Order: sequence, then structure tokens, then C-alpha cells
Amino acid sequence: MRSLFIPIFALAASPAAAHLGDERASPDEPPQVQAPGEGLFHYSAPPPGTYSLPPLKPAGNGAVLTSEGVRTSLHDLYRGKIVLLSLIYTSCSDASGCPLASAVLRQVQRRLGLEAETGDKVMLLSLSFDPQRDRPEVMRRYGAAFAGNTPKWRFLTAGSESDLAPILANYGQSVIKERDTQGNFLGTFSHVLRVFLIDAALRVRNIYSASFLHVDTLVNDVKTLMLEQAGSPPPGRRLQGAGDEKSGYESPAYRTRSRSLQNRTGRRADLLAHANAPILGLPAVPAAADNALTSAKIALGRKLFFDRRLSHNNTFSCAMCHIPEQGFTSNELATAVGVEGRTVRRNSPSLYNVAYMRSLFHDGRETTLEHQVWGPLLARNEMANPSIGFVIEKLKRMPDYDGLFERAFAGRVASVESVGMAIASYERTLRSGGSAFDRWHYGKDQQALSDRERRGFALFTGKARCNVCHLIDKEFALFTDNRFHNTGIGYAAATGKASGQRDVLIAPGLYLELDADVVADASEPRPSDLGRYEITQDPADRWKYKTPSLRNVALTAPYMHDGSLRALRDVVEYYNRGGIPNEGLDPLIRPLTLSHGEIDVRRTHRRRAELIRVSRRRGSGAGFRCAVVGLPFEER
Amino acid sequence: MSTCINIRPLSSRFSTTAAVGLSIALVFTATWNTHALADETCMSPYMAKIVGQEDYVYVWTLGTVGVGDEQDKLVTVDVNPNSSNYGRVVHSLSVGGRNEAHHSGFTDDRRFLWAAGLDTSKIFIFDVHSDPAKPKLYKVITDFVAQSGGVVGPHTTYALPGRMMITGLSNNQDHGGRTGLVEYTNEGDYIVTHWMPTDDKLGGAKKSGQFADGYGYDIRALPRRNVMITSSFTGWNNYMMDLGKLMGDAEAMKRFGNTVVVWDLHTRKPKKVLDVPGSPLEIRCAWGSFHNYCFTTTALTSKIWLIYEDDNGDWQAKDVADIGDPKQLPLPVDISISADDKTLWVDTWNDGKTRLFDISDPFAPKQVYEQRIGGQVNMLSQSWDGKRVYFTSSLLANWDKKEGEDLQFFKAYRWDGKALTHAFSIDFTAEDLGRPHQMRFGSHALYGQAHPSLITRTAAQPH
Repeated sequence: MRSLFIPIFALAASPAAAHLGDERASPDEPPQVQAPGEGLFHYSAPPPGTYSLPPLKPAGNGAVLTSEGVRTSLHDLYRGKIVLLSLIYTSCSDASGCPLASAVLRQVQRRLGLEAETGDKVMLLSLSFDPQRDRPEVMRRYGAAFAGNTPKWRFLTAGSESDLAPILANYGQSVIKERDTQGNFLGTFSHVLRVFLIDAALRVRNIYSASFLHVDTLVNDVKTLMLEQAGSPPPGRRLQGAGDEKSGYESPAYRTRSRSLQNRTGRRADLLAHANAPILGLPAVPAAADNALTSAKIALGRKLFFDRRLSHNNTFSCAMCHIPEQGFTSNELATAVGVEGRTVRRNSPSLYNVAYMRSLFHDGRETTLEHQVWGPLLARNEMANPSIGFVIEKLKRMPDYDGLFERAFAGRVASVESVGMAIASYERTLRSGGSAFDRWHYGKDQQALSDRERRGFALFTGKARCNVCHLIDKEFALFTDNRFHNTGIGYAAATGKASGQRDVLIAPGLYLELDADVVADASEPRPSDLGRYEITQDPADRWKYKTPSLRNVALTAPYMHDGSLRALRDVVEYYNRGGIPNEGLDPLIRPLTLSHGEIDVRRTHRRRAELIRVSRRRGSGAGFRCAVVGLPFEER
Repeated sequence: MSTCINIRPLSSRFSTTAAVGLSIALVFTATWNTHALADETCMSPYMAKIVGQEDYVYVWTLGTVGVGDEQDKLVTVDVNPNSSNYGRVVHSLSVGGRNEAHHSGFTDDRRFLWAAGLDTSKIFIFDVHSDPAKPKLYKVITDFVAQSGGVVGPHTTYALPGRMMITGLSNNQDHGGRTGLVEYTNEGDYIVTHWMPTDDKLGGAKKSGQFADGYGYDIRALPRRNVMITSSFTGWNNYMMDLGKLMGDAEAMKRFGNTVVVWDLHTRKPKKVLDVPGSPLEIRCAWGSFHNYCFTTTALTSKIWLIYEDDNGDWQAKDVADIGDPKQLPLPVDISISADDKTLWVDTWNDGKTRLFDISDPFAPKQVYEQRIGGQVNMLSQSWDGKRVYFTSSLLANWDKKEGEDLQFFKAYRWDGKALTHAFSIDFTAEDLGRPHQMRFGSHALYGQAHPSLITRTAAQPH
């Protein structure tokens, strides 16, 4: 078999394949075409990271055999890697088919193999759709020359035709056995060449066929996904975080790192695909009663979410407090500000993974997103609409909403239900998982977390007991118990005496010690906040607030229900002290006796401490980007 | 009633200033000789000047819950001492809603007054030429945010030839401080947005220090140097928020501007970003032909900064004086430069005072006078001859003092070179008007019209 294999590669790389390629060459011109995968493009492949590859669909699973004959599944093989999957059969002799695919993958392997950082992040898979003849031993011999190289290239087959069928269906690969007039199998298959690019979150991100299967394209696409995974967005397009980054502002050495407002551009993400995709570390989106996700509802919900006209005086959209770049909260405010600057008592909660929350708002007063939506719309200190009817009638008058509700809701016009359902549908798609933590914990990729991060996890689930409330389940982790706890923050704010003086930062590195009465005449009284008690009226619920998820926690500063803690380190130090004692303090909260080294070694900014490190890595570039790519939204 | 009616001979203007340690001999600038008569001193050099005594002050007034019809309005005060209506509100035009009425400015032909709302980003264009005593609402720009590509909070409406340059304070992505300059034609049609330089998009500007925050506030032009200067305040989140809440929000307090940007006026390209920490607000450029400098004051650090062109033709920023006791957060707000570039009025909102600085050496301003105007004070406008100074009180809806005496007013004073003499006041709360903000001067003479309420001096008010 090996003797056959090598000439096929040689054929694909040689001018002899020219007739299979470009037919546009005129007789007058010297033929310069080659098999597309090998030859020249009429353009340079766009550089990695300068474009995005929106997810196309979930990458299907299926049972396969490795070339060692071990039974496994495609998802087990994919997990945590960027995968190029090629569907072939070894006796294929069509030079523009399977041999071309293998020849291109061979070059991809060589090119990526030259780059140290790609080694363990990328995997090539060739899967046979001829399980009868391509037994594991055949596959082993077919790939023997390349299987040992980096990145890893694995050669798979199916255990049987019945194992194979769902895989072919999942990937949309049509394979027809070619037969003679008597119906005898000729040993060849009629098929369209397909190579699939699959990301670490098990989503198909590109599909290549013969005319598009080019080494440069594949390599750059793989690198684009790697940049995305590394959390480093395309050059010049860094969107995460407050656009005018102010960390270090306390120091006279502070330098701005502001980013242009024009960076918010991009293709809209396919949020339905994102909602339905398997994401490592997250369960499937819970089905909402009577509100199945559809593209039309999600698109309408997204439009509503970014529409400033949804507030009474047209100044506020949902996205003004739940800012996509800022973790779907606001990094620039401890507590939110509503219409006409009205005071909101609490920190805007992040919307990441809100689909999984069993209750909503810091006090848990709503239980479904569909209902929750109307809270901010009608609150006088948020979007301040005078009534439900006012919102509905306003929407009906807006020409750009013509027919959108009807299309999304089977002919129903805008209503209290459909507005809630549309926005809820959009919010349910804001899933974020597949982080380095997930690849390590659920994907069993030992390299995904550093030693320090792993030590942080040991503290998180050990001495620091964070996971008692920020739960990590067997199959997934939402990092919340969906319950309410008195940590002492609310108690202290409600009962503490305002200090006579406070330090106010008035310029980088410049504090002013201000007497409290200097601006007293211009300050409204601080509103009280009793937490969960305000809902249940049970004295035991005073100053209890819902446990937030820690996913993307590095993106959602400042922290706690009132945004009173600015950095993750402050939060860890707060719990290490055992919170603030009060009658209702949750018994789970007690001093942790973490050492400085365990909390945060302040040696350098780069060497973060264990506990903080693991929290910071719990984010996911993928979910974030997916949501942001949907922008900008038209606004008025 | 006032007897200060005629414009006195110029030479007498500062005749007694020596008494307060000043040595201000009136310098006749080219501009002064050309126009020779009254106008406020802080307007665009492109703008037509009032010939004669100003007849009206148009007060862009913030609607207040519980006061009158609760709406923003343009209030016209008759300030001509020869008028039978002197000292009275002669007209009030409600525009609907509260928009965080703030600044206003005329078109270069002075036929229209553009008054912006920092909250709703609406721009109200008033016709002030048809009947200067009764401005009419001519047009409302309601799609400023969408047209500009996301600029929120139109602030200064500054006249350039045939067009208006509008500074933004915020944006519709995060309601923070990054923003842009937006140009409109005098007819109210959008032209273009110039984004303030950020670190990743300096637009050719040189970041001369540590900061390039992309924030905006005021704008002034020095046409003879082909220069535009912009300053930087803060975004919607902060300027709309309760002041006490803001002071207690450590993250929010980091979101104030620390920059002044020098632009090429002709190409509208930013040339240099200067570090001016502590939120530089109003900009006032000198009028003298060789005075290549402007002043600004920083709200939080309470300093006067000089923005000047050095001997090499390079623009620099230097803090040149403290205003009051910066530790007490006096919060300098509006400033006004005299036509002869010799003095600068500085209002400090928190202590309700106005201060006069001798700026004859622009590198060493010295305070020469101080007067408390009210429980708080914000804007001031002086006539071109410096003899009349007007004050209003309101800063921002949610920053204004909620408790205290004498909080919302329009006050007219006379300045004799030594002291301010109170002429009249209008209590905007008692008059059910709201909170007065920016003042602009109006005049019948500008449009070749006669004042309808003028008293014949000889008959009504003999000397």
C-alpha cells in the first residue's frame, strides 16, 4: 500500500494534474495551472487574524476506530484542539479528490510543524468512508510516514457502515458507491471532496472543497482560530474591556491605552448556531417554555437590545448598561445610572450564560428572562417607560420594525409577551465556555492550564472553598449555586457610618482628601438596599444577594452586587478575611487563612497569584467574540 | 434702574485698576478698533459682532421637575438699560422634555442659535434674527447620534464659516468619555465626524505625554495660526450621575479627561495631544494679533493652564496658577477673557464665587479680585467692553446643589475695574423657569432692526 501511496502524492504535486484544475487557461498562454491545493491563487490569502470565521454549525460526533484499532469518538479526539478533518478512502485515485486532500494536509502539517506554538493545539484527522476495506491496519500503513510528525495527524476509520452513516449525515458528506451495470461495487466512490475546519468548541468554522483547498488558506484559517483561542483578537481590533482602559490610574505613571470607537465593526455572528453548539464546560441551553430559539427571534431580540428608542427619552438601550465589550456589564461604573442620570443601586449583572440562571436580578425577583426584560424597561430609574402599552405602541410606529414581530412570532404583532420573548432569545445565545479551564478540566488537556493555574484551582476547590457556592459539576460548570448569601457587603453598606473624609482620585496618581460635606449639598441620600429581603420580606434574607457565575469574571469588574470591590484580588482578600461579621452572615463565609502567596504575590504584575489566575482564565474568547461580532447595531 | 447706559470712552475703562495692584492700560487691539462696540468676548472670531449695547441675553435653561412646565426652554432676558423691559424675562420658549440643556452658540452669521442637550443629544436651532425679542424654534436635530456614527452629548456649538463644529462628550457604545467632533452645515445638515485621537488611532497626532484619552468638551479656533484647540471632560455616565454618587465611585472617577488636543484647523487633523490632567473645560483664546495662546481651567485640579505656541512653533501646555484652594474642590467652571487679553474671569461652582485674574503675563496669572455671586455659580458672559458681566448658576441637573440658598439665578453686574456692582437678578425657581445655563447676547441692531421697547432717554430718564 505504501508503494501506491507515494506516487499518488507525487501526482498531485506535479504538472500532470494540470488538466484537473483551471480550465480558463487559453491556448495562447503557457499552462500554469496546478491542482488548486498546490498551486497559485490569484490573490494572497488574507493574513491570520484580519478576518473572522463565524461558526457554521456544530461539528458532529460519532464512533470511530483509531489506526491502532481503539474505539473512540470524534469529540473525544477533537476536544481542545483545532482540527482539520478530511474524509477520504485510501484506494481513491482521483487526483483532485482524496489524494489532493492528503497532499495539502501533508503541507499544512509541515508548515504548522515549523511553528513551535502550534504543535499541541492543532490536529489533522483523515477519516475513511470505506470501512470495509480501510481497516485500522490499512489506515496505519497509509499514514505511517506522517503520523509521528507534529502537529499530530491521525488516521481513522469507522467500525462499520452503520457507525459511519451518522457521521456522513452530520457532516453533509455525500458518498455513493460506484457500481457497474450489474450493480456490482466497483471499489470506487463518487463523492465531493470535503475538508472541515473545527474549533476547540466543537464547531465547524470552514468547509473546503477542491477549488478552495489551498495550503495558505488552511494555515491562515487555523492560525486565525488560534489567535481567537489565545484571547488575542485580530490586530488593531481588540474589543475586550473598557475602551479607555484605566488600570493603573492610581499611579502618576499611568499612561492611556485608549482604543478607537470605530473598532466596533464586524460580521454578525450566527447566534442560533452558537446557542445550539456544544460548548465544552456548558450544558445545552435549557429549553424555554413556549419560546424555542429561532433565528428570527434572536435577530429581533438583538435589534431591540441595542435600540436606544426602547427607553422613554430615546437615550438608553439594554446595551448601555450591559456593554458587550465590557463583559455585558459596565467596567466603568460601580452601580448603574439610568434615564436622566437616575441612580440605580446595584452593579449591572453580566449577561454571559444568563440562559442558565434560575433567577434574575441580584435579589432573584424574576425567574424567567421573558419576564425580567420588562423590569428595566419600566423601572423609573432605568429605561423609564411610562407603561407597557407605551413601549408596544412606539414599536408599532417604528417603520424599521415593520413585519419583524410578525415574522418571528407566527403573525403576532408586538406585545408584552413577544418583546420579552425576543430579547430573552437573544440573551440566551450569550453563552461562554470552552475556556482554558474547560479544556483542562473537561477536555483533559493537561497543557491548557499552567502549574500556577492548577494550584489556583486546587485552592479554589480546597482551602479557599470557593466552589461551595461557585459550583463545578461533573459535566459542566456554571460557577454558581443560584442561591442567595449574606456576605456582609450589603450589611456594612446599610449600617456603616459614612466616614468624615474620603480620598477621591481627581487625576492619574492624584488623590484629594475630601471632607464628606464638600459636595454634601449636591448629593442625594444614599438609597437603602436590603437585598433578597425586599422580595421575600423574610428577616433572614436581609442583605442576601445571588451568587454570580465566575465565568468571564476577569471581564466583569467591578465586583459584588454594589460594585464596591474593584479587583479580583480585593474579592479574594475580602473572603479571606471572612467577610464582614453580622447576624445574618452566611455560615459558609469564614476566614480562609490563605497566605499572601496564595492570594496574590505582589512581586510583579505579570506573575499573578494562583487563585486569581485561575479565576481570570475562566473566560472564553469564543463566546465573547461571537456576541460582539454581531455589532454594530443600527441605532437612532 | 441702572444709569449705566452709554458705553463710556474706552480710555476710562480700567482707569482705577491701580487700586487693586494692577497695571492695566487699555490696549486697543485690532479687533477692538474694528468693532469698537459691545459683544461677549468668548465667541468664535468668525462671528458677526453686535454693534452697540446688547439688547438681550438668551439663557438656555434646563427644565426641572417640580418647576413650571418642567421643560428645557430658551429664556430671553432684556438687558438693555434703555428698554422699558430692562431686567425682565421678555420671552420663554419651551422645547419639550428635559435634554440636559447646556451650551449654545450662534452660527457665524448670527442668525441662528444652536442649543444642545447633553442627555438626549438633540440640537435645537432657534431663529434669533426674525425677531430678536422672540426667538422661534426653527429646527430640531433629533438624529445626531445616528448621523454622527455614535457621538453622544453635543456640547459646544462653535461657528466656523458656513458651518457649525460641535464637540461631543460621550458615545453610544459605553456612555464613556471617548467621543468626536461633528460638523454640520449652518442649514443643519450633517457633514462629517472627526474622532478624538485615541492611542490606537492617533490620526497623525503626536502623543506628547502620557495621555491620549479620546475625550472632548470645548473647542476654540485661532484662525491666524490655523489651529483648533479641544479640551476634555467626561462621558454621559458621569455628567448625568448624582455628584455624590460619582465622587464615591472609584471607577467612574477615573473617567475624566486629561488632555487638550491641538488640531490643524484647515485639515481637521489632530496635531498634538497635550497632557492637561484634571479635566480641562472651557477654552478661551487671546485676541491680540501676536498672542498665540489660549487658557483653560481644570475642573478637578483647580488650575489655570496656558496652551501656547512656543518659539519653535510647537504647542505646549503649562499649569500657570491655582484657583482658590484646590483641596476644597472649588470646581472652576466657566471662564471669560477680556477683549484686551489682560484679565480672565473664573467662576468656581462649589463656592459660588467669581475670581478675576490678571493675565497680562500669561505665564503668571495673579488673582486680583474675588466676589461671591450665589450659593453656586457656573456660567459668565461679559460684554466686549468688559463693563457688564452676567452670571448663571446651573452646572448639571444631577450635580447642582439640592440644598442651600440662592441656587438658581440669572444675575447682571457692572464692572468698573475695581468691583462688581449688582444690577439685577432673576430667580429662575421663583419665576417657574428652571435652571439657567449658558448665556448668549442678542441685539436688534445686528439685523438692522429698531428695538421696539426703547425708552427715549431724554423723555424718560434724564441724566
